[in-house]
Amino acid sequence: MRRARRFNINGILVNAAALVLVLSYALPYVYLLMTSIKPAADVQQIPPSFLPAVVSLDNFREVLQSSALPKAFASSLAVAVLTTVLSLAVAVPAAYVATQYRRRITTLFLLFALVTRMVPSVSLGVPLFQLLKSLGLLDTIPGLVLAHTSAAVPLALLLMSAFFEGVPKELEEAARMDGCTRFQAFRKIILPVMIGGIAVTALFTFITSWNEFLYALLLTSEATKTAPIVIAEYNSVYGLAWGAMTAAAVLYSLPVIVVTLALQRQIVGGLTFGAVKG
Amino acid sequence: MSGEDRFVLCMLAPALAILGLLVAYPVGLLVFDSFFKVDTITPHIREWVGLKNYIDALTSKRVAESALRTIQYSVFALFFEFTFGFCAALLFSALPGRSRWHRTVFTLPLMVPPIVAGLLWRFLLVGNIGIFNYGLVYLGIITDPDAIAWLSDEDIVIYSVSFADIWLTTSFVALVSYAGLTNIPKDLLEAARIDGANALKRFWHVTLPLMRPVIAVIVIVRAVDAAKTFDLIWIQTQGGPNHASEVFSMNIYQRMVRFGDLGEASASGTLFLIVMMLLAAAAYWKIWRPAHA
Repeated sequence: MRRARRFNINGILVNAAALVLVLSYALPYVYLLMTSIKPAADVQQIPPSFLPAVVSLDNFREVLQSSALPKAFASSLAVAVLTTVLSLAVAVPAAYVATQYRRRITTLFLLFALVTRMVPSVSLGVPLFQLLKSLGLLDTIPGLVLAHTSAAVPLALLLMSAFFEGVPKELEEAARMDGCTRFQAFRKIILPVMIGGIAVTALFTFITSWNEFLYALLLTSEATKTAPIVIAEYNSVYGLAWGAMTAAAVLYSLPVIVVTLALQRQIVGGLTFGAVKG
Repeated sequence: MSGEDRFVLCMLAPALAILGLLVAYPVGLLVFDSFFKVDTITPHIREWVGLKNYIDALTSKRVAESALRTIQYSVFALFFEFTFGFCAALLFSALPGRSRWHRTVFTLPLMVPPIVAGLLWRFLLVGNIGIFNYGLVYLGIITDPDAIAWLSDEDIVIYSVSFADIWLTTSFVALVSYAGLTNIPKDLLEAARIDGANALKRFWHVTLPLMRPVIAVIVIVRAVDAAKTFDLIWIQTQGGPNHASEVFSMNIYQRMVRFGDLGEASASGTLFLIVMMLLAAAAYWKIWRPAHA
């Protein structure tokens, strides 16, 4: 009897603590949402209030009517999609042979990918600036795609390797018995099985490119500014336009958050898989 | 060469080409440039200066200060991220109902772009309209909402800018730790309980040793990421006030873009790269290996 009651009190305490923790974690982002739907003047009132007194879509109207932000969203989307396609096209086959055909070159290759993840992007950004300049690709979509790909390929390689670890070697052997070449076995048998892992990797690659700031700052100027650059500029160009800035920040981050929450289980699986198995 | 070897090479070649062109070649270029005086503002200046760029970087007060700040920032951020994240994971695994709902909300900051997290925290901490201080007044921790100038006090700004980092990445620590905790065999903890170990002892002698590889991965990944931080701090303070929040990556960026000094930026970039590699290697040998031995 005494034991059971103590367990209950413990359970309630644990639940309450977890609830407080989770709520305090969500609070800052909720405040961002609340601020974005305040009338522009109320955003800067002293003292600030958490909830809007009046709901207004002025801030959203302002950022969507400006020419800069919609154009920047288009650039961001194009860069992220192309980066994802290019990275997966090279990383998926490489990750497959690196895990299924172990030999010295594939081990070295994976090690190289891992080491690449440690390279600070500012170190790589300096020479990439020169490289793109000499190729005439500064401030172009393909140029930024190449820069983002340098970070996305190692990420995709490591994620896909973790997924391919789970594929039995017999799968390819069976396909080969049935008369497939190695390429056919990969394309027709392995890839369809791996579609879930490829989707998670694609989403991660996309988000990495969509969120990227430093390369975009270094390598673009007028023609292909991405969304984070334009949002950051609300600081200087328009003074401190907090209202517009919060609306732009919501438009920029909410789609990714919604997709993530929808696919939450697969994503957390993909994210923690490699680390825990490591 | 056998057919199998040819297949391996064909599948590997595109990735090798991309990494060669976009990682290995630029790193080579970085090291090469670090021995030259290169001016990007007045073009066509390129002369061999040997180790001068390195000597300048290593003796510059501003570089040394930015390196120190990077360490302050990383240690501070990592300490709180790890403490909060690990406690959250322990709490979630102690929840009776599998804590699915809690973890769903907790995933949220994971997907918030760093630039948005930086802006958001700047908005929370900024003078006059920052709601954070009003919250502290409400809780009775401070009496005046102007008592702490988080982002304009040179003495504390390097710690204030890490709040956004802590908020953003505690989730990563929590979710990875949680996955590690669920992998610990239940009967092991049960056996320890039957042997009379209390909760604290079970945690210290069973959970913690088994979590060692997971903790190692978290610490390595997060330490490297924290030391590389650029966007989060840039969006909050641009390194100010008076360089008080200028970390190493920002120092390199400033030299490259504002001063057009490609040679010195390359030398600092090379040093940064080497330190990160050494850090990761040391962490790997010190923390990870013993668990395998």
